[in-house]
Amino acid sequence: MSMQTYRDSDSVDVVIIGSGAAGGVIAREAAQAGLTVVLMEQGPRFSVRSFRHDELKDWYLGGITNDVVKNPQTFRDAPDKKAELQTFKPALWYGRGVGGSSLHYTANFWRFHEIDFNERSVLGPIPGTGFADWPITYADLEPYYTKVEWEIGVSGLAGASPFDPPRTKPYPMPPLPVKSSGVLMERGARKLGWHPFPAPLAINSENYRGRGSCVHCGFCHGLPCEVRAKASTLTTVIPEAEATGRCEVRSESYVFRIETNAQGRATGVTYFDRDRHERFQRARAVVVCANGAETPRLLLMSASTQFPHGLANSSGLVGKYLMFNYSSRAVGVFEHELNEYKSVQVSRILHDFYDSDPKRGHYGGGGLDARMGPQPTTWAIRTASEGPSWGSEFKARLKEFPRSMQVAGHGTSLAVESNNITLDPDLKDAWGLPAIRTTYKDHPDDLANARFLRDRGADILEAAGALRVTKADVTEQTSSVHLLGTCRMGNDPATSVIDKYHRSHDVRNLFICDGSSFVTSGRGQPTMTIQALAFRAGEHIARFAKRGEI
Amino acid sequence: MESANLSRRSLLQAIAAIIASAATPLGWAEVAQAMDAHTAPLTGADEKLAFFSSSDASDVEAVAAQIVPTDDSPGAREAGAVYFIDRALSSFFSQLGGDYRSQLSAFQAAFRKQHPEAASFASLSSRQQVEFLETVDQTPFFNTTRLLTLLGMFSLPSYGGNRGGVGWKLIGFEDAHVFQAPFGYYDRDYPGFVIDPVKSK
Repeated sequence: MSMQTYRDSDSVDVVIIGSGAAGGVIAREAAQAGLTVVLMEQGPRFSVRSFRHDELKDWYLGGITNDVVKNPQTFRDAPDKKAELQTFKPALWYGRGVGGSSLHYTANFWRFHEIDFNERSVLGPIPGTGFADWPITYADLEPYYTKVEWEIGVSGLAGASPFDPPRTKPYPMPPLPVKSSGVLMERGARKLGWHPFPAPLAINSENYRGRGSCVHCGFCHGLPCEVRAKASTLTTVIPEAEATGRCEVRSESYVFRIETNAQGRATGVTYFDRDRHERFQRARAVVVCANGAETPRLLLMSASTQFPHGLANSSGLVGKYLMFNYSSRAVGVFEHELNEYKSVQVSRILHDFYDSDPKRGHYGGGGLDARMGPQPTTWAIRTASEGPSWGSEFKARLKEFPRSMQVAGHGTSLAVESNNITLDPDLKDAWGLPAIRTTYKDHPDDLANARFLRDRGADILEAAGALRVTKADVTEQTSSVHLLGTCRMGNDPATSVIDKYHRSHDVRNLFICDGSSFVTSGRGQPTMTIQALAFRAGEHIARFAKRGEI
Repeated sequence: MESANLSRRSLLQAIAAIIASAATPLGWAEVAQAMDAHTAPLTGADEKLAFFSSSDASDVEAVAAQIVPTDDSPGAREAGAVYFIDRALSSFFSQLGGDYRSQLSAFQAAFRKQHPEAASFASLSSRQQVEFLETVDQTPFFNTTRLLTLLGMFSLPSYGGNRGGVGWKLIGFEDAHVFQAPFGYYDRDYPGFVIDPVKSK
């Protein structure tokens, strides 16, 4: 199939920066609505046929993600410290290739609940934080959650959890087969009176929309799917966008500046092409979907005399209120083999502790899931951090791999202004552009909540009959794959970056949609909501374009 | 290529079983291709060193062999972890090379101070090695060596370690690309999910 291409001088309707979970969806929605689209991606376009079970490459060498050599980052836990260069793994880890982080995600696709959107009104303010309501409700987003489930492809069982928010349609595919970890979670949790249920996953349990069903190879987590059963935008909406004949995907095209004119309108984007030549793509509207770290970085790099603090930053909030979620874990070792390294990560989850409860003494809530945890290499590294770390006893622990599972807790993060993305004042990447500098320290309530969830996970493992249960230490996080909140949505231009349609308050034809749009962190599984927002944003952007309102 | 042929055969058997039992996975051609590429490098071991001198390599190998010792099953030595480390520091982890070289020197200097009589760490008895390592197992050198040893033991054999898949065999990981339920002991006789077991009784 010959693909549509555009010249830089063509003024396309929209240029989208970032081809991940959000950018791929908006590209398809815009192109199917009749708009011309250029979809820019920093990284290459991988062939699905090149995907391997290569844990070293994809976990430690930036195979499909940003890496510490070409895309260096710095990290610090307080604003008065000098941020340190990350030399082994980057602090913030994200997909760098067509498909973005939907290539390497685990594909846990929980909807947010109603409370995630209005929690500030329900619970009241939390001093020292930017805790706020969203300007939209769950009901506003419900049709788009349904769209994600049916158009991206989600396996699950409607009505299986008493805590689920209302839905208008069942899932299009049944849940994936239960794993031993799922059976044990059911056994333990039900003894305790809790309500485990089949995990919704963006992984095919049967052939769906031209993609095959899962073959249970066990390498979803952090790696790309070689059979296209795990839904990445590379294999779902992006080919559909291209099939319209109105969308060009421009890989290895690294946008580093959004240009504006004297009227304060965006005119297009300046980028390095694969030969590192500087080019400019003209467009009627610019949509930034580069993720919660790269999006604020690009806006800050686009500062000008007219916008001295960065584009769309009259509120001063671009890059601020970074939220990671906290992922805690309890590990259980059982008598018999579970062989958790087979099949998808998660087959059972529970939401009994989703809502915050003042009786716990802290803000926060979350979900629990029963999962495999790491693949062999990371298993070994993690085992060394949680007990004997060398010698015969350590070796004996390594051999517990097939008899182990974990219950992971996925919890809230509060929006704290000093947790943020800024441009490193000294460090540059391989293109000479300022590196991402992350400043982050978990709020004490986030840590207390993580301990609470971890302990409930340990309760489940004990009730299920584990021979030994280990609670992983809850310490302050220094890295994350959930990059949320850094260009938050809101009605008031003084306290938010974008409006409820994802239009930036300051620049009429600049839209932003990805994890940065989040006002609260949710309970740990953000991609489902990122894509629901993207379907909704895409619909509105197309509507605005047709009315001449961009 | 015997092992690759065997793997290929078991893969085709697995695919045949899936076709017989359920929906055909559309991506089976991709699985076959990924698996071929995966198993091919299992043969052939490169013993040349690019980063270490042979005496440094002996010391690092001896440390690695205490991290995952050889007993009734193979350890880091049989996995060829030191060859992985050598290759890593001279290529894909070269950014760690400078620091590692000075950490190794510091380790060797501390060792000479403690054991002026010994030719090298590697020349000590296993018991003496363990005693010395217990005094340095919180140092950057030891931490980095452990990290690299574990990466070497469990990564694809094509990176120079995990020779013959000994790391995977050690922990009971089966290197295959297609599995079918039931996956383990506890999901064998699962009766199916019941939405509310309390109410349905």
